[in-house]
Amino acid sequence: MTTTEAPAPSASVIARRLVSLHGLTRLVLFAGFWLVFAGNDPQSWIIGAPAVLLASWTAERLSRRRGRDVTLGGLLRYIPFFLWESILGGTDVAKRVMRPEVDIAPGLIEYKIRLTEPGARVFFLDSISLLPGTLSADYRDGIAYVHALDADEDLLDPLRRLELRVADLFGERLGGEPDA
Amino acid sequence: MHEILIAVAIILLISMSVGLIRIVIGPTPADRMMAAQLLGTSGIGVLALLAPALGVPALMDVALIFALLAAVSVAAFTRRRVGQDRP
Amino acid sequence: MNILLDLLSVLLILAGAFFFIAGTVGLLRLPDLFTRLHALTKADNLGLGLIMLGCVRFAPDGLYIAKMLLLWLLIMASGATASHLIAKRALRGDGEDY
Repeated sequence: MTTTEAPAPSASVIARRLVSLHGLTRLVLFAGFWLVFAGNDPQSWIIGAPAVLLASWTAERLSRRRGRDVTLGGLLRYIPFFLWESILGGTDVAKRVMRPEVDIAPGLIEYKIRLTEPGARVFFLDSISLLPGTLSADYRDGIAYVHALDADEDLLDPLRRLELRVADLFGERLGGEPDA
Repeated sequence: MHEILIAVAIILLISMSVGLIRIVIGPTPADRMMAAQLLGTSGIGVLALLAPALGVPALMDVALIFALLAAVSVAAFTRRRVGQDRP
Repeated sequence: MNILLDLLSVLLILAGAFFFIAGTVGLLRLPDLFTRLHALTKADNLGLGLIMLGCVRFAPDGLYIAKMLLLWLLIMASGATASHLIAKRALRGDGEDY
């Protein structure tokens, strides 16, 4: 959705990145995926090893930014929050549609994103859609257009709290004024 | 126990089929696309239930393909533009 | 103990089915594209998560559980992204149906 445009890195740059800590983490991650998908049959690695290498290479080539990564502590704090919010989000929408008269007052609100990291912004936009009653509908020039099931409710507060959570996840400090 | 799994799988299939009414009534292609999305998610739910009920764990791999196809099809759908096919 | 675990599984799976049904009801009853997207993404993701949690009990090995988890994460990421793309397309009116 949002990538800062820059020329694609050259082959030697990619090769250097692959052996960095970041690249190795990715390699381990893809190898883990292969293990999960193919099972622990050693012979499967005849195809798996080249596939994992190719995937790591492609991922490095496509990632044109050198930004922050998700921090482990942030992830551990984010997961319970995320699970609880998705339960609330699902229950909220189920309650609204199961009433005899559908209980909604839809509207579109604008939210100025304070996160600067492109990856964190995409993550924030995706997370908005799981919060109760909100759906990220568009994103332009640092403004998220959020569709609300009930636009009469105060949604700025939950959005700010979610943004703080995502900032914590990426180890980012939010700057600027907290306004919409 | 397995009977319960199969019963719930059938409930999901019915729910999914009812949801397909959206494909018929539309009104926009985007609405129809959403019904197809529903088909994907419910289909994965059905497969997740049938895999233990029938004792075929490989059904989970089928579910994986469903998930990948659903993701790609929506991306392809939203990339289409007015008059794109005309020269 | 086994009976309790079975009961828990059944409850989780039934709850999951309920959210799937809620998603379908929402898709049919809600008045416009955006509100339908709400129902579809939130209810179905939660429903699928609950069903998979209920099925953990029947997993033959740990890798199977990991596969279910990955599948759920994939569905959530693609579902959220898909709803954003569909909503954006409708808002900007640059799709083929306008």
